[in-house]
Order: sequence, then structure tokens, then C-alpha cells
Amino acid sequence: MKRLKLWRFVPVIVLAFISCNDYLTVDPDNSTVTEGYYNASQRIEQAVIGTYVDLRRALVSNHAWLMYGEARAGDLAVAADFSSYVVSQKLTADNFELKALSDWGYFYDVIKSANDVLDIVEEADGETLTDYQHNLYKGEALALKSLAYFYLARIWGEIPSAERADFGQRLSGTAAVDKAAGFARESVALLPWLLLNDDGIESAALSAIRFNKTAATLLLAQIELWSGKGQEAYTALIQLYSDNADGKLSAFALSMGADRRTVIPQTPLNASVVSMPVTTLNSIYPQEDQRRSRLFSISQTQATLIVRDQTLLPLLKLDELDLLLAEAVWRSGRMDEARELLVKAADGAVEDYSELAGSDFEDALLLERQRILVGTGQRFFDLIRFGKVSQYVPALSADDVANGAGYWPLSPQSIRGNSWNQNSFWSR
Amino acid sequence: MKQLSKYFWKSARVLLASSVWMTQVYAQEELIIDSLIQSNRAGFENTLQGNVAGLRIKSWSGTAGVQSTINLRGLSLDPTHDATQPLVLINGVPIIVNPSPVTGINPLSYFSPDQIERVEIIKSIDRLAAYGVQAPNGAINLIMKEGKTGPLHVRASASVGINFLSDIDYRKDAFYGFNTIARRVTYGQGAAIHEQNILVDGGGDFGSYLFGLNNHQDGGVVKSSSFGRQSLFLNAKYNISPRLTARFYNNLALASREGRYAGEYNRELLLPVIGDESFFMDKKRNVAFLSSIGLRYELASGLTVSTLAGLSYEGAGRDVYVPSNILKGSIFASSEALKRQLISINTSLNYQHEFSSDWKMDVKLGHELRTTDNRLTSVDGSRSLESGGSNYVKVVTGYNANQTEALSDHEIERIIGLYGVGKWSYKDDLQLNLALRTDGSSRYRQKWGFYPALGFVYKLANRLKIPVTVSASAGKSGMLNRPEVYRGELVGKGDYFSGNELGVGQLYAAFHDAKSVDVYQVDAGVLFGLTPSLTLALDYFHKTYSDFAYRRYLSNIHGLDYRYETGGKISLSGFEVTLNGKWVRTEQFSWSSNLNMAAFNNKMKELPADVAATSFSYLATLVKGDPVTSVIAYESGSAKVIGNSEPRLFGGFSNILQYKDFSAGFTLAFSSAADVIAASLASRYAIAAVGDQFPGKSSETPYYFLEGDERTAVYQGIRTIENGSFIRLSKVEVAYHLGDNLKKSLSISDLKLFLRGDNLVMLSRYSGINPEENLTGIRKADLSLTGTPLPASVVLGLKLVF
Repeated sequence: MKRLKLWRFVPVIVLAFISCNDYLTVDPDNSTVTEGYYNASQRIEQAVIGTYVDLRRALVSNHAWLMYGEARAGDLAVAADFSSYVVSQKLTADNFELKALSDWGYFYDVIKSANDVLDIVEEADGETLTDYQHNLYKGEALALKSLAYFYLARIWGEIPSAERADFGQRLSGTAAVDKAAGFARESVALLPWLLLNDDGIESAALSAIRFNKTAATLLLAQIELWSGKGQEAYTALIQLYSDNADGKLSAFALSMGADRRTVIPQTPLNASVVSMPVTTLNSIYPQEDQRRSRLFSISQTQATLIVRDQTLLPLLKLDELDLLLAEAVWRSGRMDEARELLVKAADGAVEDYSELAGSDFEDALLLERQRILVGTGQRFFDLIRFGKVSQYVPALSADDVANGAGYWPLSPQSIRGNSWNQNSFWSR
Repeated sequence: MKQLSKYFWKSARVLLASSVWMTQVYAQEELIIDSLIQSNRAGFENTLQGNVAGLRIKSWSGTAGVQSTINLRGLSLDPTHDATQPLVLINGVPIIVNPSPVTGINPLSYFSPDQIERVEIIKSIDRLAAYGVQAPNGAINLIMKEGKTGPLHVRASASVGINFLSDIDYRKDAFYGFNTIARRVTYGQGAAIHEQNILVDGGGDFGSYLFGLNNHQDGGVVKSSSFGRQSLFLNAKYNISPRLTARFYNNLALASREGRYAGEYNRELLLPVIGDESFFMDKKRNVAFLSSIGLRYELASGLTVSTLAGLSYEGAGRDVYVPSNILKGSIFASSEALKRQLISINTSLNYQHEFSSDWKMDVKLGHELRTTDNRLTSVDGSRSLESGGSNYVKVVTGYNANQTEALSDHEIERIIGLYGVGKWSYKDDLQLNLALRTDGSSRYRQKWGFYPALGFVYKLANRLKIPVTVSASAGKSGMLNRPEVYRGELVGKGDYFSGNELGVGQLYAAFHDAKSVDVYQVDAGVLFGLTPSLTLALDYFHKTYSDFAYRRYLSNIHGLDYRYETGGKISLSGFEVTLNGKWVRTEQFSWSSNLNMAAFNNKMKELPADVAATSFSYLATLVKGDPVTSVIAYESGSAKVIGNSEPRLFGGFSNILQYKDFSAGFTLAFSSAADVIAASLASRYAIAAVGDQFPGKSSETPYYFLEGDERTAVYQGIRTIENGSFIRLSKVEVAYHLGDNLKKSLSISDLKLFLRGDNLVMLSRYSGINPEENLTGIRKADLSLTGTPLPASVVLGLKLVF
């Protein structure tokens, strides 16, 4: 046998060692690794959409947005076992869904996802994202984060920060809302009036289910007004009345669909689930109110919301624009202008607000917000904001509210392993 | 090569000739299979039971074809995880050893003990380190029989017998204590076991060959739970040239297991529903193939290069059909398949050198590639019976698409190992062993781990005239942390915009510091040659395992449920004693014994900080020094340790006697002081229903487990905490060998007629049937991780060698 020449194997051995690292990196078939995934705009957009899906889970699972809003205020009835606890303000009862509702984790998921999007967008180069996409995704992430902080502050008051710079630190309700305002302000500057579809054409349908300049402005105005800053809200809102905005205003609703992680109602305003007893309807909307039949299907005993598109859950409606502006100018001390705007906003109401006395403006505004924004989950927050919780919710006295009854209790999961406590009302 | 001195060649030849001797010295413990009493059960581990100090084979289930647990100085933070199993090799090729979750068929049942020549048990770190991350918990190398020099030899054997449960008391039975009607029907009157083997071999200058086939059938003591295996095998060696040798080993096995019992799985079905609780169909089928090719080329005298490539494959499939009389009007069908493959290529350069007549050296440098590739697919569905449908419709014609669930999974893992093993010996007195290995794994970003070990064996007999050999070694091996998490993972969150958009996000963040578990081991041993025929070996070892991967559950403001970390430290130490005696050895009569015992002690050394918030939260009650194998339950709302599932002492005792043409032997297996906790069938309460108060009745024990899900937490009461000590007559055999004259006249070289029994007697105070009928120390009320009664069996057999 010919003698083997060992040196001939040297290249083979060298190649074998060079290929070691490739050999030792296995790309899994049935899972997707994070590393290196976000290398195209479509994939980055998926992360943005993921943040909307997180927000949807936070608001829609267990009908949360209503439980925090109209259901807790007693306006809308939700056909769910646990809703009686919510109506009777027994929010610490031993019930699985109540514990989920008093868990703030889903809102923090929104913040984490939004922060991830901001990081991804920051790292993406000019070839991956166009300027439009860069601004859009960043603006959406900021708006979503702002909305999450705003919900957190309205539901629980004092909350921990989830920002890298001050992670876990306590934010007073005011500080949290200020944070939300900052993010919203930044997003307004970045977002377009209308979003472009894949063909590069402005799409009303796409704009209606994602944050756009109008929606972010409405959010910013809500936040400013929560802090009583009428002039700041006015400055923001007035942009929407400019020529630039003409014909480009778009509301914001959550688009429904399957959540892969939990079961959520896919038609959240379904008439068989969400309704209003006729007695309640009559107490809110007088028989002659022209909007009643536009808003509700009314039977002998109950009224159900008329939903144009069951696959959408409206959160920031254009109908609120005049209401917000009316409030902004009223808080800025311009009564005449405010009265005029309220009349415009409340078109179809029985009441004549054109002669409204200054002292009655607040009640009228609150009533019209209750009527016009029904189903958007804002009612209880309005009661907190206007200091009327004990007036409209008989189960809670003024002292209770002073002790924190307007906020939700914290779930055991939210308190475990940190320094948080229930507020003095819920720890009774 | 010519420049090498003649002296070198001479000494190298001496070394080569002595390589057989070297192998025997390095193999720490070796069992010749034909000298052991074989088990009637299919798994080869049952033959090893009671024969090796420190090797614990726990017969937890009597179901035919199921693997007994195999532990050779093994431990992990989850003591029941299959990571605690030893590495099993066949002729040096790693094989798939843990049963697939799809069929539960034991891979050690794919061959018959008759195929095996001997078994090397590898326990000390100076040998284990050479396997790196593959053998943190010992290794067992099965050396298969080869063809013997000479023309054709034929060996055939056959045995037939039955399996039975004698006088079973249903009240003691974990399985059917709740349904006596079912018990009577299911346990029946025992079932047949039979096995046939044929081996043909031969050899000459060309090499050698051995091929054969065998069949094993076990009707199963539980009705309709039979097991069967057929295999075809070939072991051949071909001397291509005086310097180049090729070896081929192939074993193809088909194995099947029937399991038609509702109660085989759990008690969750609404039972008793029918008399014998049988499913309509539950078929499990495995196809397993092991193939290896080894090439050895002698470059020069003393210098060889060898390559060993192996492929271990198993395709496991399960088809289930549940009829409507169990599912109240619906039928259910499912089909699952798991295909696993393990490919290894090991190439090494071996150099043997004699420095002087006293000093010898044997050095090996090698490279190993190992790939595992497991692919699972499953589909299941149910449909309601149509009007007029029979309850016993045998064929499922199709699924409704919306009632069907499908799943696939694919896992690949790769390892590259580079190793160097050196052995230096001085006369017959001293041997030094050094092993260095580095393993690169696809599981981590920092891919490489380093595993060194050093050891010696010193015989005092020559120099000090004391018949004592001492040995010691220290070193490190590793254990893979799974799953792969170093690049993070994304998850699809949900649909948006009329299903046109998919939202994605992070499931968990990349854990860049992922690495293997470090296993540090120290061994020390003393071997006393009390007389030439009586040896006593005492061995001590201590192992420390650190840096297990776990999940830390994050508070709900993180936006992620968990992240990965590594931590935790546990230890396992123990003494092993082996006494081998050949008491009598005359032409007419011989008697030899083996007694082996092991006392192990495992301890929790360190837990991750705030362990309650991690995936190791089940260990949170343990304090430093507690056994990792502690069983934890609650009493008055607080968790406490109520027992240890591991025995304090375990081992075996064997005796083989031969008188003229008759022989007899037995192997006892024993275990002492393992705690067995029996969950109670009757005391199980939803916490909400009993107002957080346990026990519910004054007669119940104060101990309970917390079970159920988040919505319906339940107390599972404990019935008894018992001592699970036992002595079992694991195997017994009496045999008659045909006399020399008869053999000559019949032209056969051996004929053996034997009667063999398994598990015929068990002595225990345990109130149930089998103190080992649990995997975790807990005999569960829902039957999970709990085995069926262990049957006894007797077979009559014949072995013929032509």
C-alpha cells in the first residue's frame, strides 16, 4: 500500500476548524430568534403591530376598558360573571378576572414593546427604514407608550416607571401623566396625518387603526386636560383646525383579531354582551334627545350600542374633538367660546347650552362627554377628573375617594416581591 | 519512519501486544455478560440490576417494554430528569438511551443480552473527562460479541415462560385500587414471555463476522399491554491490509408496545366507565437503527489513526383511538411521531511509546463531532358520532378541520469535541492518567468549555508487598444546559388589521452568558486483594454540580414574563463497596459471590437568590445541606421536607454455584430507607371549597400537596409516608449443561437447559405492591409518574452452541 501523505490532510483540517463556528450555530426551524430578526421594514412594522396587540390585550381582555370605565360607573352593563363585583365596587373580591383586571402587567407589556420598537428603530439604518417609516414607527411607539402610562396613572394613580433611566422608581400620578404628555407631544411631531399603505397611497382604513397625528393630538389634549392645563390642550388641538389638517383627520380604534396568548372577545361591543338598561338610558339621554336612536338600538328593557364596525373598538373618536376644545377654552377662561363649542359638540341634545351659566358648564360638559363618548371607557376617569366619583357612584363616599377608592386595587401579582402597598382605601 | 530506531519498533510491538491488558486496566469495572444471570424482561438494564456498586436500576413499572430508571452516580436539580442518566455507548458509539415520550419504549430493549460480550462501567473522572459534556453522570460501554476464529459457529437459544402477579391484593395496588372489577379483568392470569436468538459467527485472517437475529415477546402482565421486539444485527471486522482494519456494526430493531388501558395513563377519565377500561386502540411502534463503521490504520508501529462513525436512529410512532363509550358520544384519534437521530464521528491519533522497559506511554489525540436531530409531528382530532353511528366504529374516516390540532417541533444540537488522553505507566506499579477535553456546543454564545482531569492508580503489591491498590483522580466534566436561549426568542402575539398584520415581540431576552453545568469530581479508591480469590474494593467519590440554567420570573412591570440565568450548586458524594469472592474452585464444584453496596448522599449547597421567583421554586423549602431529592409537602400552610426519595443504601448480592453439570445462581437487589409517599385517593379538595382548611376530616394526615391550576387550586392529601426498604430476588437461574460425552456424540459444543425467574420474591414492609412503583418518591393519586405492579416471571429455556 502506498504510504499516506499526512500533509495532504492539512487543508481539510484547517477548513474543518474554520467551519466550527458555523457548525455550532443552529438556526431553529420552529422558533424565531431575536438576534438579527429586524432587518427589514416589514419586520420592524411587526414589532409596532405587536405593541398594538399588547394594548388590545390590556384593554379588551375581560372587557377591561369598560370595567375601568362605564361598567364601573354603572352606565353600561357587561354580561360577565364578575361585573357585579365591579358595579358594587368590590374590586378586591376573590375572583380570577378581578385579579387580572387589578394587574397592571399588560400595560407594562405595552411599554416594554414600545421601548423595544424605539430601540429597533434607533438601530435600523437608512437602508432598512425610510424617513417616513422611521418617524411613523417611532411616533407610534411613543404614542402607545404615552397611552399606556396615561391608563396606568388613571387606573392606579401612583405607579412605577418602566423607563430605562428610572426603572422601578415611584412616579406620582402627576409625574406619570407628565411622562405620558412628553411622549404624546413627541409623537404628534413625528406622526403623519394619514398613513401610507404598501402601495404608498394614503389609506383611511390603515390610519383608523393606528396612531396618526390627529389621534396623538387628541391623546395629548386628554392628558393635558387631566392635569388641568387648558391652554396647553388648546395649543395642541388648534392644529387640528388648521388648513393642513383639512380632510385628513383620522380617529383611532383598536382593530380586533385573535390574540395568540389569551382569549379576548373579538367583537367587544357585541350587543349580547354590552348593553344599557332602558332606565339608565332614559336618565342619561332624555326621550327627545335626537342622538339616542343614532347611538342605540332600544328595546323595551335595554338599549344596545349601534356599532358600525364590530371589528373596531373606538378609543379616540373625532366626536371628542369639539368637547376637548370646549373644555380647553373653558379652562383657559374663555367662556363664550367654550359655550359655542359645547353647543356645536352637543348637536342633537335637548338642552340649549347657548345660554349656559358659567357655574353650570362643568356639569354640562361632563354630561355631554358621558353621552357622546359612551363605549370608549372614559366615563369613570371623567368622574375622577371632575371630582364627582362619590356623587355618581353611591357605593363610594367622599372620604372613600379621598382614601383612593377611585383607583383600582393592586393584584397580589403586582405587589409581590416589591415595596408597593395597596392604597389606604383598598387595604382596609 | 525509517529513522526510528529498531529499539523503538521492538518496544512498540510489545506495547501493541499489551494493549489488551491496557484496556482492562483502564476499564474501571467490567462485567462479562455470559457470567451474569440475565433478566426475563426486555430492557438490558434489568440484567445489570444488582451487579454494579453505585448503579441503581429502579424497577418502577411492570409494564412490558418500559425502561427502569438508570442512575450511575447521577444527579441534577431535577433528580427525575433524564439528564441524570449515564452516557450509554455501544462499541464506543453513543446511542439514544432515554425512551421517547411518544411511545415510552426502552431503547435498551433493542438488542438481546446474548449479543453482548461485556460491559464497561466508567465512573472515575480521569476517564469521564474524556467525554466532556456527554458524560456528567457516568458512562456504560457495551462491547458486543464478535466472531471467533475458526469456521462457522452457530449459537441458538430459546426460552418460553409466563409473567404473573401472584395473589395480588387490589387494596395495595396504586393502579386499580379504585376499581376492583377492572383489576380482576386486567391482571387476568398472566401472559406469555418468549425469546429466540440465533447468532452465527466465524473468523480468520480476513477478520471476523457475527450476525444473527432475535425475537422477544412479552404479553404483559396488564392485559392488552404487550411488548415485542425483533432485531437483526451484524458485527464484522475486515482486515483490509495488515495495517488497515475496518469494523462494521449494525442493529436494526422493530419494537412495539400496546397500551389499551385508560388507567395506564391517569384517573382523569370518568371511571369506571366500562368493565375493563380498555381503550379501543393505542399502538406504539418504534423502528431503531444503530450503525457504526470504524477504521483503524497503523501509520507506523505504535502510531495509529482511527475513525469511528456512528448513527443511532429511532423513529417512534403512536396511534390512538378512543371510542365513544368512553368519550360520551365523541371519538378521539391522534397520531404522533418522533424521529430522533444521533450522529457521531470520532477521529483519533494514538501513539504508544516505551521510554524504557519500565516506563510506557499511551497518548491519544482526537476530535469528535456529535449531532442530535429530533423531529416531532403530531395531529389529533375528535368528532361526534353521526346519527346511527356505532359505538365501536373502528375506522376514523377523517377529522373536522376545526377540531384538529397539529404540532411539529424540531430540535438540533451540535457538539464539537477536541481531546487528548494520556496514560503513563511505570512497571506494573503506577499508572498516571491525564484527560483534557474541550467541547464546543451550539447551545451557547460562548461555545467552548474545558474539561481537564488527572488520576493515578498505584499498586503497592510489588514494592511494599501489600496486596493493596490505591487510586485517586480529580477533574471536571460538564452537563448541557437546555434549551438554547442565547439569542432570545420572538413570539407571534396576535392578528391585527383584519388579520393582514401579525404582531410580534420578545418572548424572552437573549441570555448571552448561557453555559454548561460544571461538574467537579474527586474519586479515591482502595482495592484489597485479601486472598488471590477474594477482593474488596472501597471507593469514595464527591461531585459538585454548579450553574444550572433556570428561568427567573420577572415582576409584571418588566413586560417580559421571565429571563434566563444560571446558578445553584448541588453535591453528590458516596461510598461504594464491592466484595468479590471465589470461595471454591474445583473441577467438580465452584462457588463465587459478589456483594456490592453504595451509600450516597446528595445535598443542596446553594440556591439562586430569591429562588421562589424562579423555575426552581419547588426547591424553595430546602436549606443548605438538605437532600435535593427531598419530598416537600405542606402542613398548616407551610412547606416542609417530609422525606427523601433516594435510599440511604442500595446494592446487590449474587451467588453462582456449579456442581458437575448443574449450575445455579441468584441476584438479590436491595435498597434501604427510601421514603415512599402515597397520595390519598379520597382526600382531595378544592381550596375554595374547604375554606383554606386542611385536613378536611380528622382521620386524614396533616400533610398535603398543592395542586390544580391557578383557578382551581386543590389540596392533594397524603395517605402514608413509608419506609420503602426492600430486598428483592431480582433474578434466579438453575441450569443443566449437557455432559461432555453427550456433547461429543451430538457434535455440539454446549447445550444448556435453564429455568430462570425474575422478581419471584420481595421482602418489604411497604404497604403497597412495589416500593419502587414511583419515579419521584411519590405514588401519585392521578397515577402520573407511577408504575404498574412489577410482575414475577418464570421461563424455561434452551441454549445450544454448535
